[in-house]
Amino acid sequence: MFIHIFTYRLKCLLRDKEMIFWTLLFPLLLGTFFKMALGGIHDNSFETINIAVVQSDSYNVSSDFKNVLERVSTGDKPMFNVTETDILGARKLIEERKVIAYLTVDDEIKVFVQQSGLGQTIVKIFVENYQQSAAAVETILMKDPQNMDTIGGLLSTRHNYLSEVPISNSEPNGILIAFYSLIAMTCVFGATMGLKEVMDIQADQSERAARSSLVPVNKLKRYLYSMAASLVIHFGEVVLLIAYLHFALGVDFGERTPYIFLTALIGSATGLSFGSFISSVVKKSEGIKTAIMVSTTMIGSFLAGMMFHQIKYIVSENVPFLAMINPVNIITDAFYSLYYYDTLRRYWLNMGLATIFIIIFSVGTYLVLRRQKYASI
Amino acid sequence: MIISVKNLVKRYGDLLALDHLSLEVNEGEIYGLLGPNGSGKTTAINCILSLLDYHKGEIEVFGKPMSPNAYDIKKNIGVIMQNVAVFEELTSYENIDYFCGLYVNDKALRRQMVEEAIEFVGLNEFRKFYPKKLSGGLLRRLNIACGIAHKPKLIILDEPTVAVDPQSRNKILEGIVELNRQGATIVYTSHYMEEVERICSKITILDKGKVIATGTKDQLKSMITLGETITVETYDITKDQIELIRNLPHMSQVEYKDNLLIIKSDKGKNNLEIILDFIKKQNINFGKIYTELPTLNDVFLEITGKELRD
Repeated sequence: MFIHIFTYRLKCLLRDKEMIFWTLLFPLLLGTFFKMALGGIHDNSFETINIAVVQSDSYNVSSDFKNVLERVSTGDKPMFNVTETDILGARKLIEERKVIAYLTVDDEIKVFVQQSGLGQTIVKIFVENYQQSAAAVETILMKDPQNMDTIGGLLSTRHNYLSEVPISNSEPNGILIAFYSLIAMTCVFGATMGLKEVMDIQADQSERAARSSLVPVNKLKRYLYSMAASLVIHFGEVVLLIAYLHFALGVDFGERTPYIFLTALIGSATGLSFGSFISSVVKKSEGIKTAIMVSTTMIGSFLAGMMFHQIKYIVSENVPFLAMINPVNIITDAFYSLYYYDTLRRYWLNMGLATIFIIIFSVGTYLVLRRQKYASI
Repeated sequence: MIISVKNLVKRYGDLLALDHLSLEVNEGEIYGLLGPNGSGKTTAINCILSLLDYHKGEIEVFGKPMSPNAYDIKKNIGVIMQNVAVFEELTSYENIDYFCGLYVNDKALRRQMVEEAIEFVGLNEFRKFYPKKLSGGLLRRLNIACGIAHKPKLIILDEPTVAVDPQSRNKILEGIVELNRQGATIVYTSHYMEEVERICSKITILDKGKVIATGTKDQLKSMITLGETITVETYDITKDQIELIRNLPHMSQVEYKDNLLIIKSDKGKNNLEIILDFIKKQNINFGKIYTELPTLNDVFLEITGKELRD
């Protein structure tokens, strides 16, 4: 009987074009879109920053600053492209967005910008560093002129008194969160299959289920056999997605392949059990159940960082409970743990949470499914 | 006894859907449950099949109490629901094979049964068609094939001809009679009195969840006073003449509408002769004249005061 039900469920699921679209093709398309949209963000090339310096008497006599500016504005990858001009020219350049900042040199060096950004921040930090160093040199010369020879060495040698202990061999990469949450979303989208399985089992939910309830096979057995087929299909879809992301789009999953498969399996089971649970407890039409399931999954995906990866950290820091009860976040975090951390502690924590979800959803579904007769059909 | 229902009570909130319903279906019968929409036919079937909870009563099928886990009973029942219940993703053959396989483990036997079911409902040319490619009538036939392929001893059909074209309806009704001839006991629910009258050997008429009459069609018709309905097509009858007809012996009701004189007479001999004599004596010109015996609708009308088709 297992083979009979299992095989026919496989046929039904594989021929359900709408379901295959949402659980496989849609994530593949979304992954491709993510790659196109986010692929260049972690490109390490640095673009030279255009700035202007207002010529003045102070600037002309500030040979130290001029030298430093010249040194950072030459070479293979210059930091700045400097235009020397008067104040009106500098204002015009910034208005026309030909430079992102201009500097004035008087008693102190001032930075003028029109808007904030990464380039402006670099200019500001550069100027602050220069001024701090210049002030340090001045102080040393005033207090201990004999040590002048050592100043050059002190300034060129920056000591870091904090030692960095790496927790990972991998580079932190927030963009991966988007891809991992996409896989997690796909896992939870398996809920559509779980939803259908219950619709075909509960006699009060469809004519087909009513007919199936009249056969001489235990209801829970039929449910488990059908769910086994759904799990096989959905797990296959998730593995296909991971393979596509890795081999076609170059998404890094780290080196722990068996654990990646385990995460895909647990994630698929989480999605299926979630769908079964929603379908069991919500006594509404299939459309309403699907709407609840899709909206919950999409909100979960957003909070897990699929659209904006910082949101994952914001939720984890400010509402940790929400992060822990969001299945999409848990699965995303499991993939990220495998990629980033050398130890598996955090990974197993996520897998444990996902398993708890599967148990809760399954027990909830069982409590509803064990009902044999209905008040109305 | 195949089915025995005693004092079945089922409520939906304040609505009493089945009011102490009792019925008995014997082996070899085509048992008709006739009643207007909402009379409780489907509710009764669902209670018998243990799909619905009920508040009171006893149900036995094949002499044993029916329950959701009574698999030895269920394996001998075939059910054809009111709405088509098949998988859109499976072909006609696969649908029949799937449902048959839930009853029959032996592959070779199952293949043979599926072939016979396809042959029986006339879906041979459509075995590879998906349900959405089938017409309404063919879909109904597929629905029936899914319910009978495992050769059940008891077949329950709940309004299987709703929204079906006359050709498919005929095919379905002939099929039901054939299944009965092959040995299956049939329970057939419908609100079409003509169908029930045509195929059922025993009929129970339901109204508002109550049994209002049970018996063969002749027994049911003998319960009422109406003998026959005589219809005369005429254009020149006067009001006085209609009044005179009303006073003739055995004539219980006379109506004249759309050039048709409809006369309902009580049981008795020579009613048609009396009317013909009257027409001749009064020199009334007429076209057609014909007489009809009471229908189940007349039975329902006389007992409940309303038309069955309402």
